[in-house]
Amino acid sequence: MSRLSRRQFLRIAAATGAGAGIGVPLLSGISGSSSTGVVLTSRLRLPAPFQVPLSIPPVLSPTRSDATGDHYEMTQRRARVEILPGVNTPIWGYDGIFPGPTIHARRGRTVTVHHRNDLPVPVVVHLHGSRTPHGSDGYPTDLIVPPGWQRPPPTPMLPADPHANVVVGHRDYVYPMTQQAATLWYHDHRMGFTGASVWRGLAGFFLIHDDTEQALPLPGGDRDLPIMLTDRAFDADGTLRYPSLEPDLYDTPGVHDPYSSGVLGDVILVNGRPWPYAEVVGARHRLRILNASNARRYRLTLDPPPPGGGGLVQIGSDGGLLERPIAHDAIDIAEAERFDIVIDFGRYRPGQNVVLRNAFGGGGTANVMRFQVTRRVRDDSHIPANLATIEPVPLSGATTTRHFLFQNRGGAMGWQINGQPFEPTVVNAATRLGDTEVWTLIADFHHPIHLHLVQFQILSRGLNGPGPHDHGWKDVIDLRPAEEATIVTRFIGYPGRYVFHCHNLEHEDMAMMGNFTAS
Amino acid sequence: MTDVEEGTAARAGSPRQNPGRCWVYWPFRVTTIAAAVLLFDQAVFAGQFLAGTFPALHTHRENATFAGIAVLLAAVAAIPIRWPGRGPWWPIAACLGLLGAIAVQIVLGFSRALALHIPLGVSIIVAGVALAVWAWRPHRMPVAGRR
Repeated sequence: MSRLSRRQFLRIAAATGAGAGIGVPLLSGISGSSSTGVVLTSRLRLPAPFQVPLSIPPVLSPTRSDATGDHYEMTQRRARVEILPGVNTPIWGYDGIFPGPTIHARRGRTVTVHHRNDLPVPVVVHLHGSRTPHGSDGYPTDLIVPPGWQRPPPTPMLPADPHANVVVGHRDYVYPMTQQAATLWYHDHRMGFTGASVWRGLAGFFLIHDDTEQALPLPGGDRDLPIMLTDRAFDADGTLRYPSLEPDLYDTPGVHDPYSSGVLGDVILVNGRPWPYAEVVGARHRLRILNASNARRYRLTLDPPPPGGGGLVQIGSDGGLLERPIAHDAIDIAEAERFDIVIDFGRYRPGQNVVLRNAFGGGGTANVMRFQVTRRVRDDSHIPANLATIEPVPLSGATTTRHFLFQNRGGAMGWQINGQPFEPTVVNAATRLGDTEVWTLIADFHHPIHLHLVQFQILSRGLNGPGPHDHGWKDVIDLRPAEEATIVTRFIGYPGRYVFHCHNLEHEDMAMMGNFTAS
Repeated sequence: MTDVEEGTAARAGSPRQNPGRCWVYWPFRVTTIAAAVLLFDQAVFAGQFLAGTFPALHTHRENATFAGIAVLLAAVAAIPIRWPGRGPWWPIAACLGLLGAIAVQIVLGFSRALALHIPLGVSIIVAGVALAVWAWRPHRMPVAGRR
């Protein structure tokens, strides 16, 4: 009997050990990951949430407006700013601020932005979401180098580009603005260093307006808020932490392990302020939400939700207005995506606090910002049932189908497309202007795939149709791990060489980028 | 499997019972259950990798080494079952075969031949678990220790 008990005991012990050996790792990682990346933690005491007021980036005035359009000037320079209360943080900023100043453009009126580079490294400016001729699109090797810059020798990590258009000191970017009203943004796009440069502050809003949008009774004025979400980490001395292989950002791109899958911060900044609060009147507000984070995805929710739910009413996507508004309880927003939403704070009590939360976050990153509803006011705005007309791209006209696999293959330039790292001289897709193409995209991890020049429509995800956040014109598709999706687009615009790439900026810098040509 | 039926063998009063050698299955039991757990964990880490947790790939790679070592130890631990235990010799061969399969599996994994890597991985886990189940079933040797 005692022998039998011992045997039983040993079996139970073995079964318990085996159960723990499998169960502990299984349960500890069971939720998977909502973002592909590793959190970099701050080394100073972080402020409590909702202590600093929300700020809205200043609007840049044109230096000149004439028959040829509106002319702006901007200088990219180093500055010291207060991001965390009482902490001095060096940044790189457009006009020395983060986010950069907002440009308001009108459809049909050309915008010229004269960019001066006073930074110690080359820069490239890309207007994300715009239909722009090649020469002003911010091709990753079309650098504005600082005076006296020595070109680094080509390496496998930084291949040479014989077609690069490099200028010294400054460049005019000319945007014809032939597209509909939309929330765009401009940011650095230098080959190999976009993640580090954007992290330091090189990002700003660029809003296009048109008559269709302005005829709608949407909330406007100070109830039309650009909201830029970024996550950052701070060092003990207040500097921004970023795991660059070479902190001078001279000739070695990339980040050190374990951050090569993406850099996540532990501080959520809204328009450059940590977890801010905003006092809002009890009326509809339009929030143009941009996820300008390097690698973080967010699932935005309202806490508490308004009575009856559906508090986040989407009216626009990356490329402009939707056909019809869509009421969401949660919005999943990947890197570089924009969601134009309306929140009716009239559905809340005066005095009530409404927190915009991030259900994909944990601890500090679960909070985004807080709205404090003041008084109820007369609200003349409303959300029309029909917002805009979106012509579906006719599939019957599709001439070409292409397949792209976005996959990590290991190594320093390991984020690749169809097994190839970015090479400026390799054309991954030669398209013809006017042609309709269907692209099938497959991802191993979260890969928000962005196409320059065009807006596309999402046809399917896996075996299903588009997801709840896939409506309207898109220039980024939020591909999730082991997911396949198809998109359709017409290549309209301008001839030349453009890039498509993963907008996880670490993946982009470590070669997940390809070229398409339009001719 | 009649030769491993403890009760039958004991009641039959097998001539091969040997009170001094009741320990011979224990090293194999311990190592095979460790190997089975580590092999199964490979599926756990692969699943997390596919669910978007990039660091799980690193864990998957490291754990492959530990699982291989566990199978190698199991091969060594299978020796006393035969000598001095006079039990079957095939567990030694099975462990060595499994080790070979793991070597192939590692090559397939690094070369990203996932269409082969995943089915072979499932087969390796099935084999590893089967070895552990066999090891933990009653055998003639332990029962020989009944005094």
